[in-house]
Amino acid sequence: MEKVLEVVDLRVYYEIPQGTVKAVDGVDLEVFKGEILGVAGESGSGKSTLALTIAGLLRPPAKVVSGKVLFKGVDILKLGNDELRSIRGRRIGIIFQDPVTYLNPIYTVGFQVGEVFEAHRGGKVGKYFSEVINLFKAVKIGDPERRVYSYPHQLSGGMKQRVLISIAIAEKPELIVADEPTSALDVTIQAEIVELLNEIRKELNTSIVFITHDLALLLEIADRIAVMYAGKLVEVGRADEMYKDPLHPYTKALISTLRYERKRRPTPIKGSIPSLINPPPGCRFHPRCPYAISKCSQVDPKLSSVSGRLVSCLLVGGSNG
Amino acid sequence: MEDELILKKISEARKKQLTTMWEVFKSNKTAYTSLYVLLAIIMLVLVGFFYTPYNPYDFDLSRARQPPSPKHLLGTDELGRDILSRLMVGGRYTIGISFISVILGSIIGSTLGLISGFFGGRIDTVVQRVVDVALAFPTTLLAIALMVSLGPGILSLIVAISISTFPTYTRLVRGVVLQVVNEDYVAAAKLLGRSSWYIIFKHILPNVISPIIVQTSYYLGFSILLASALGFLGLGVPPPTPEWGSMIGSGRVYLFSSPHIVMFPGLFITITALSFNLIGDGLRDALDPRSRMFLRRF
Amino acid sequence: MTLARYLVRRVWHSIPTLIGALLFIFILVRVLPGDPARLIAGPEALEEDVQRIREQLGLDRPLYIQFIDYVSTILKGDFGRSIKFGTPVINEILFRLPYTIVLALVAEVIAVAVALPLGILSALRPNSKTSYITSIISLVGASTPVFWIALILIYVFSVSLRLLPSSGAESPRHIILPAITLSLVLMGNLTRITRSSVIEVLSSNHVLTAVAKGLKDRVIVIRHVLKNALIPIVTIMGLQIGNLLGGAIITETVFAWPGIGSLLIDAIFFRDYTLIQGIILFMVLVFIIINIVVDIIYAYIDPRIRDVLWRTS
Repeated sequence: MEKVLEVVDLRVYYEIPQGTVKAVDGVDLEVFKGEILGVAGESGSGKSTLALTIAGLLRPPAKVVSGKVLFKGVDILKLGNDELRSIRGRRIGIIFQDPVTYLNPIYTVGFQVGEVFEAHRGGKVGKYFSEVINLFKAVKIGDPERRVYSYPHQLSGGMKQRVLISIAIAEKPELIVADEPTSALDVTIQAEIVELLNEIRKELNTSIVFITHDLALLLEIADRIAVMYAGKLVEVGRADEMYKDPLHPYTKALISTLRYERKRRPTPIKGSIPSLINPPPGCRFHPRCPYAISKCSQVDPKLSSVSGRLVSCLLVGGSNG
Repeated sequence: MEDELILKKISEARKKQLTTMWEVFKSNKTAYTSLYVLLAIIMLVLVGFFYTPYNPYDFDLSRARQPPSPKHLLGTDELGRDILSRLMVGGRYTIGISFISVILGSIIGSTLGLISGFFGGRIDTVVQRVVDVALAFPTTLLAIALMVSLGPGILSLIVAISISTFPTYTRLVRGVVLQVVNEDYVAAAKLLGRSSWYIIFKHILPNVISPIIVQTSYYLGFSILLASALGFLGLGVPPPTPEWGSMIGSGRVYLFSSPHIVMFPGLFITITALSFNLIGDGLRDALDPRSRMFLRRF
Repeated sequence: MTLARYLVRRVWHSIPTLIGALLFIFILVRVLPGDPARLIAGPEALEEDVQRIREQLGLDRPLYIQFIDYVSTILKGDFGRSIKFGTPVINEILFRLPYTIVLALVAEVIAVAVALPLGILSALRPNSKTSYITSIISLVGASTPVFWIALILIYVFSVSLRLLPSSGAESPRHIILPAITLSLVLMGNLTRITRSSVIEVLSSNHVLTAVAKGLKDRVIVIRHVLKNALIPIVTIMGLQIGNLLGGAIITETVFAWPGIGSLLIDAIFFRDYTLIQGIILFMVLVFIIINIVVDIIYAYIDPRIRDVLWRTS
């Protein structure tokens, strides 16, 4: 299968007065054509940083310390500004989390979507309005002919998010990075948006990297899932297999919170997310892991292949560490 | 027993908070130096209560308009009076009046804002209207108008500057009160049956204190400029009182021959106002680094 | 809500403020020490003459009636007659108004031409020399007394270098020093607000979206940063008219520039109370009107404001 994206040993750190935040600390990832790869993690796991890096949108104080992000074989981290600009919005699209702050309040939504066309095809934004209307129809924004002239504050949250989606898909990109696209929305709207993204994937045969804290959502829509914890990946595999048989203790705990029978309350994972400035030695999950052994606090396991899955745990699979 | 422990922890945390704020303030070198400069000036003025090189009112035309010399460190003015002595004594008026006026304005303004925001309704509308009228006047114009009406004098000056400054405090405090009053913890307090006073002191005041302090620091600088401007125009404290602004006003005619008469008082005014402004910046960063929208007025 | 309707609404809301201001000005003059009738009559006049003048001016009637009279004459455009000159106050004002307007305009242009670029540049390039200069300017503007700067400028350019005139308004060169002085009053605050506004907008999320679309940097800065940052800047510029008026009073006085600011000070010196009253009223009116205009512009730039106001009204 064709690889659209390959992340090789990526490390992204932030320098802040309190120390160095190791948001992404050695991540390897592959995204194949036409698939939906889910990236699951709690807040503070580094997943948003990962999203921004893949989209080429990193801002200081974040810095790529090492690693490669190969988009169709080209390392976008090494590209110059002009080359990056031709990729952004045209070959890689990004959908942001909070439609309220990510749209400019003083321009109409039609204008803001039209800007994507202006950026890559030239000319004035005005001449693309009919294409924008078609886009709105595709993302199911009602009454599109009038809505192109609306301002963001006049639209509901769901509609604003659809506007952001149309910005991302306007030039039919090969890769879409969706950073928590549903987290700011009601549950019913969430379902519609997720359904919409699935349709888009099928229509355009585009790959989607779907980042969220909501594992349940991923199990619905993703083909493969990568679970992230404290800046590192702990398990990567097919969604259905992971649901049936999670291998890493963290994944196990997450899945168990989803699956509980009546009359029994879900058991939360004890402890809290480690600081990314001073992560625990050895395996980062070991302080909260019910199966931890003494070696876990000394050796940091690497992702290794175990029956078709990638897991980083000393207690799972063959040679590790 | 546990309650005592908790209270002790809270007061320790408070103390730590204050020390951290002080540390942040100290780290701002310009603000920190300004504090010392200001203290130096205030010291000079305080010394003036007991000793001045010469009598500031003692004039002698034969030694008028002399440039700075070992005998008269800052020279003499148009009537032969020693400028340094006049500056030392005049500082009482310029700085003192500004200080009192701003404190007065802040107390009146904040109280009004508190009442207006907390009790709302008719009171709020009335206070709002009054503030609107006051703000319909450019500040300097308002002060001039009040001085014309009230006549020259220290008291008039204090009244004029207080009235010019209180509306901003009212708006400021009212804004914060309205915000705080909508918070859940206030609703919880009300449910628990706490009295209005309790809510005001426990919940509203801590939130209101820092904006007030920062605004006051800026206004202190501003009122120094305003008071001296009024003095310059001849609308402030009547001569021969050596208010810094009026020193410039009366010395202005001799700009050509003896610029020092005008330069030194102006320098003192500038340095004092500058110190207040820089301290205000430092305070703002120390107390609430997010709020960079306080307007320095001039 | 359309802009027109918003305009009407704004004007309607300013009426109570206007009445309050009128009341305040009215009280101001009535509180004055001394007897206005005697002032007009002169110290040698006889008691009957003073009484006659008092009746003529309606000074013996109850205060509230005097106030109503006052308001109605104002509405007719009659600001009274100058005690010193005998001419209608409004004529005196209108005669000298153009000078103040010209001075204010030139000063504003200078201030904007310096403050906006400096503020924007220092926001886009923090910790640079530009940033440093901007801080200095804003500090100077906020801490130095206007009248002192004026005197320093006079001393340097008029007295020492003999380059520029220091008083009067005979030639175009005469406006240079007063305009520069007045512009310094505005520059201080304007640079600071411009810089902080741009900084704040720069870090906002919609800028990231603009970058993600692949737009050119220049387009992003102009369309998504500057235009958004403009809103608070324009607001401040409007608010600054107050500082402008106040500063003009002092500047005109120092430079003997024949505008309404120096007219006010002259009137105070001459104890011409009708004139004083009229000028203050005029300035307040101008201030209120300009504030309304600024609000309209603000609503025009930011579509959210119009809708919010429509919904809350």
